[in-house]
Amino acid sequence: MMTAICFYFQVHQPVRLRHVSLFDEPKGGSLYGRYFDDELNRQVFNKVADKCYLPTNALMLKLINQHQGKFRISYSLTGTFLEQAKRYRPEVLDSFRALAETGCVEFLNETYFHSLSSLFEEKAEFLEQVRMHTEELHGLFGLTSDVFRNTEALFSNDIARLVEEIGYKGIVSEGYETTLGWRSPNYLYSVRGCQKIKALLRNYKLSDDVSYRFSARWWPEWPLTSEKYATWLASSPGQCINLFMDYETFGEHQWKETGIFEFMEHMPGEVLKHQHIEFMTPSEVIRENPPVGEIDVPNPISWADMERDTSAWLGNGMQRECFRLLEGMEQQVKEARDSEMLHVWRLLQNSDHLYYLCTKSWADGDVHKYFSPFSSPYDGFINYMNILQDFKRQAEKA
Amino acid sequence: MVGWEYPPFQTGGLAVHCYELTHALAAKGVEIDFFMPKTDSEIEVEHDAINIVPVTHVRHGAYVTRQAYGPDFFSDLHAFNNAAADEIAKRCKAGACYSLVHHHDWMTAFAAMKAKYALDLPMISTFHSTEYDRAGMFPNEYQLNIERQAMAADDRTITVSNYMKRQLVEKFGVDEKKIRVIYNAVRADDFRKHWEVKHGREKMVLFLGRLAEQKAPAQFLYAAKRVLQIEPHTRFVIAGTGDMLGYLINLSISLGIGEHVTFIGYLPDDQKKLVYAKSDVYVMASVSEPFGITALEAMASGTPVIVSKTSGAAEVTPHKLSVDFWDVNALAEKIVALLRYRVLSDTLGKAEFADAQTLTWDKIADQTIQVYNEVAKG
Repeated sequence: MMTAICFYFQVHQPVRLRHVSLFDEPKGGSLYGRYFDDELNRQVFNKVADKCYLPTNALMLKLINQHQGKFRISYSLTGTFLEQAKRYRPEVLDSFRALAETGCVEFLNETYFHSLSSLFEEKAEFLEQVRMHTEELHGLFGLTSDVFRNTEALFSNDIARLVEEIGYKGIVSEGYETTLGWRSPNYLYSVRGCQKIKALLRNYKLSDDVSYRFSARWWPEWPLTSEKYATWLASSPGQCINLFMDYETFGEHQWKETGIFEFMEHMPGEVLKHQHIEFMTPSEVIRENPPVGEIDVPNPISWADMERDTSAWLGNGMQRECFRLLEGMEQQVKEARDSEMLHVWRLLQNSDHLYYLCTKSWADGDVHKYFSPFSSPYDGFINYMNILQDFKRQAEKA
Repeated sequence: MVGWEYPPFQTGGLAVHCYELTHALAAKGVEIDFFMPKTDSEIEVEHDAINIVPVTHVRHGAYVTRQAYGPDFFSDLHAFNNAAADEIAKRCKAGACYSLVHHHDWMTAFAAMKAKYALDLPMISTFHSTEYDRAGMFPNEYQLNIERQAMAADDRTITVSNYMKRQLVEKFGVDEKKIRVIYNAVRADDFRKHWEVKHGREKMVLFLGRLAEQKAPAQFLYAAKRVLQIEPHTRFVIAGTGDMLGYLINLSISLGIGEHVTFIGYLPDDQKKLVYAKSDVYVMASVSEPFGITALEAMASGTPVIVSKTSGAAEVTPHKLSVDFWDVNALAEKIVALLRYRVLSDTLGKAEFADAQTLTWDKIADQTIQVYNEVAKG
């Protein structure tokens, strides 16, 4: 039996916030300009485009052409990423379009705003954001997908059921022991309480070997070669080995100097030397394989932090208060019938804003800090809350 | 060990430090002869391994108000250092077998140096501050010199923060391999949070410390002025005394915030604890603070703190808000946020409270013994 190697890359840029003080009326003509730091977003986007998106897309295109359909991958591009690509670097979008045209690339669906709306009490907003994303992707590349990936791989029985109801046949999430017990992530699973939807679960060990440990000198396996990695993949039994990671792994989290591009360049060739493994996209994997068992996830899991739950975004009181405040404004914002206000409300739902407020210590704290533009989660809270309070006042005026 | 003061005789944090450190060390089997100036107070220790040795009398007035160094003060200081060194030598001759000499700050450095050179004892200095911290731009060359000599003579130098370690490396040219950082601790149990006492309508922001330029009390008042513009129901309490008291009272009046500022003077321990517990925010925005034990006391009280980036206390916990001491706007912003956003002050206060529990004298003693073992004779 063949084992599928299933790559899925998360491509996301948050919309970073301005510093908003309690003392001064926020500047910036539009509501968008009032809260979001356009200049900072432009700088970061351009930097990541140069270091990661453009060179990695060029490499992927070359590999796809070189292997004549045998190298297949998938992406999930968030709406906030796409908006920034359009605004700051249209050529990034063109390079994704070129990948889409090869027919070897799948684009998964998610919430347009990379939000936690799946955790709202009312699910209408979540469904609306999924619809927006589907339409956007179809408009850009003319493609649709049968597989859904929720923000940060958030997953539960309820979320899977909701996604199944709107027509998805597959959903990706984390393959962690708390869900699987002794079972392997390298198989498809059905989900308790759902009809047919199949879950593709991340092989976090083999994924993190690339995305997290690739350049780690403390790691006994360093340096990781394409050949060695292909051997590991070849010796992992199952239907599919799901390698899910941030796309920014290439050139941004792992700098060019670590050799990450050379690693990627040679990896497909090394993998294809093994007769029993092949590359497939998530939709192809679920089309060809039946589930082997059932998973039961009553409480939401994710791919973040040691806990693999929602605590990276909702672990402390500050995070929960901001989240509930935003959630509670839904009706008010929608009744205002102001499209910019609605859009800003949704941009404020970017899960990254909550991620920066995480107060966990140890290793995960360092990861949060790496991504955060604030000197501490408390400073992050002050700024985010100042903005939410100001936004609330604006909404009340409307 | 050579020290300058010991409870109940105390003018600053040094006495408490020496008391807690000697007791925590003694509990771990370290025997200590503690040489200090003779005072009128009865000094009691709770451990047999600690032996207080008072030598010569430092003139009382100058000793109490350490700021007012008169000409007599320095001659008294030398007399004390000589007498302490003589006493150490005499005890050695009589059979005492010291492993090392450890002293605190510049006032006791000569005694330690004499003991080191005359008796070939390894020497350790703990610097709780240097003349640069105390005098800012205009350090007293005499004291700087003593500090330089002590650091040069040291086998190991202990600083109370990395912030201070950098200062020793950059301003005094000390080899950083010789420096060990050991933070301060608090008896967290003494500062139990009275969560229930904080429900008054008027919120309270606290400054507690010597009223001197180093502690930036004027910036506190400028920030208060700004806070009051949007949070008028706030009381700013200034606890402590010092040269700037008159100036600060006048400043609060000329800023037009006199009725919102309360000067409560120097506080005895029990009242101090109550004030910490009652405050909604503790501000320690010092220009330069080698450690800043008050921030730790506020943390132990569960009161959220705003500390300056130029302070050692900023290093002990990630759970804090920090500001540049000169940035009055940022300070005001953070004060308002803590007053307005209950969830922020709760989250921060509880995390700081938990961190303060982990900074114990027991741990400090372990780290100190480790430094002793690096240099000790025999």
